[in-house]
Amino acid sequence: MIKGYAGRILDVDLGNRSFAFRPLDEDTARLYLGGKGYGTRLLYDLTPPGIDPLGPENPLIFATGPLNGSLAPQSNRFAVICKSPLTGGIGSGACGGSFAFGLKKAGIDILIVRNQSATPVRLEIDGDRDSVTFLDASDLWGQGARATQAALGKGRNHAVIGPAGENLVLYAGIVSDERIAGRTGVGAVMGSKHLKAVSVTGTRKLELEDPEKFNDYTKWLRKLFRAHPVLGEKLRRYGTMGIVNTTNARNILPTRNFKLGHHPDAMDVSGEYLEDHGLVGVKSSCIHCPVACGREVTVEGVGRVKGPEYETAALLGPNLEITDLRWVNEWNELADDLGMDSISLGVTLGFAMELQEKSLLQSGLTFGDATGISAMIRDIAHRRGLGNDLADGVKRMSERHGGADFAMHVKGLELSAYDPRGSYAQGVEYATTSRGGCHVQGASMYFESTGPLTIDPQSLRLKAEIPVVQQNLACAINSMVLCIFTTYGMIPKQVHELDPKSRLYRTITYFFERSGPMYRLITKLKLRPLTWFEQWLTYVTGQTFTSGHLQEIGERIFNLERMYNLREGLTGADDTLPHRMRHESTFPHLDSGHPLDQLLPTYYRIRGWDARGVPLQRTLDRLKVRT
Amino acid sequence: MSITVELTYDLAKALGVRRLELEGTPTLRQVLQATRDSFGTEGATFDKLTRVTALVVNGVIASRSQDTPLQDGDRVSFLKAAAGG
Ligand code: SF4
Repeated sequence: MIKGYAGRILDVDLGNRSFAFRPLDEDTARLYLGGKGYGTRLLYDLTPPGIDPLGPENPLIFATGPLNGSLAPQSNRFAVICKSPLTGGIGSGACGGSFAFGLKKAGIDILIVRNQSATPVRLEIDGDRDSVTFLDASDLWGQGARATQAALGKGRNHAVIGPAGENLVLYAGIVSDERIAGRTGVGAVMGSKHLKAVSVTGTRKLELEDPEKFNDYTKWLRKLFRAHPVLGEKLRRYGTMGIVNTTNARNILPTRNFKLGHHPDAMDVSGEYLEDHGLVGVKSSCIHCPVACGREVTVEGVGRVKGPEYETAALLGPNLEITDLRWVNEWNELADDLGMDSISLGVTLGFAMELQEKSLLQSGLTFGDATGISAMIRDIAHRRGLGNDLADGVKRMSERHGGADFAMHVKGLELSAYDPRGSYAQGVEYATTSRGGCHVQGASMYFESTGPLTIDPQSLRLKAEIPVVQQNLACAINSMVLCIFTTYGMIPKQVHELDPKSRLYRTITYFFERSGPMYRLITKLKLRPLTWFEQWLTYVTGQTFTSGHLQEIGERIFNLERMYNLREGLTGADDTLPHRMRHESTFPHLDSGHPLDQLLPTYYRIRGWDARGVPLQRTLDRLKVRT
Repeated sequence: MSITVELTYDLAKALGVRRLELEGTPTLRQVLQATRDSFGTEGATFDKLTRVTALVVNGVIASRSQDTPLQDGDRVSFLKAAAGG
């Protein structure tokens, strides 16, 4: 077996309570790495088209990659793959915490959970004894993620669901420690299986090809991370909420259900504000990560809990016209404990408020008014009253109540907190990303709106190229499995110190913006390992990884996801943005929104897809994507 | 003619206000100068805190070297790079 892998897949059947260990396929690992890539390959192969995402045929796949289980910073993440109940296409989530590390210590690369249990069940996996115990989980059913993990104890690493998953909230997530695989409803799939928790233990050692070089390099890199302006400073100091004032200045901070891109008091939910008012601790929520971007806050009646991320602060804050951080903290904690995606939650609440404003639904929720929101979040998790409606997300709500023009989703997945009208590459990424309106499948906005070296976000230049390169990279990162924030470290300190007003800065961005094919060519080069993740993969597996290799692997994964979506009935028509994003302007110098129609054909061409967004056979052949 | 200047968190903290409402400042250069003036003897603090910032008008980056004409009601912000997710 290639080094870095445990070499085993654990296949569990909840229907007849059986399990089997199978060998990991080396060829698949070479082609797809692991994590999201390998998991998508399995999902494609194991399921026929058209299955019910909440039915027994939908497998829930927990997948690690070759970097998990090592001490590489930011490497303790696992991917979860299944058919999404929210979008009907590929469902995937990524989660920090400690579960990935536990799986690898148990000698398991991938855990497949098939079928459904008739009653609440939990799994205890002992990798040293090669045992899986099926335990009654009736006593835990109904418990929050925090209480569940506390009851399961500290000796093992856990992945659990809260009431939202149990009640099949379509944007329920899977929780490990204080982190959540939030997106696309993976928690609802776990709930449909009546699987409350998976706990794993083991003491196996991960074999690395060149442990000495790996350790020396990692030691050196930790120092580099600590000195890096983002990984060592900004994320450490302010968490991801440190971006609020930047997106607000850029006019891309979702406000009032994305009606606006700016809120005058957004500062009150920023990382800087949190640091000054109410931060009670800083800790890394994912083990072995020196970045420690997790922030601790106090919530009345609960105690010290992990504070909100940027997306949560924006979408449960200004997007609802709320800028009182105490409320945002409380709702964030509720979402985490009930086990649901706070991005989809915030967008759904904003949509319900606008429906109320337009007299399309008596939701009782009003912009700028915190009254009733906590109760509504609980009702969503338990599918009570109107909460049952909101539990289905904005796409289905708009089909019932109207308001499709301002239902902020792509492919059924609620939009993240970067308004694409001021970030065109991000808009293309939202429209085309396989799992729907998500930002961490490429984070293109970093190159045009938020990062240290940004091109004009509203010109058409490079706006189709950046998403292609970034989506490919993100697919590879999510298959190693690393934290996507690691890519923020790729821009060196010196660049962060450039004054955007300087001639040098303007010259660099001028040429970058015009680099087009050259940019793509450079990222495809297979020269030698440059970034730390290329180095790590090389030291861990013994195979050489370069930027070009990762682009190729990522492109393969992206195309396989695409083929899965097409197989499940999605089409190029689903590569779109909400009407509001395309037709309403938030910028005084523009009279329309995002120019997706002008960018999509170029994007398809670069991808090697036809005009309908279908990968050409020669593209699939080149990438060795079997369908 | 009224221009709103939105300060960064650090600038707001140093000055004790979040935003300034400026009258009769038709160019970006004048807005910058007026903002700096509002720091009084602490002009050096302003310079330090705006060293690696871009200037943004209504969400769009403007070049400080140009005398960008402003319109009544424009919002001028200072932009710092950040990373989130
Ligand atoms: S950077 Fe933050 S989210 Fe990423 S691994 Fe580290 S602590 Fe976890």
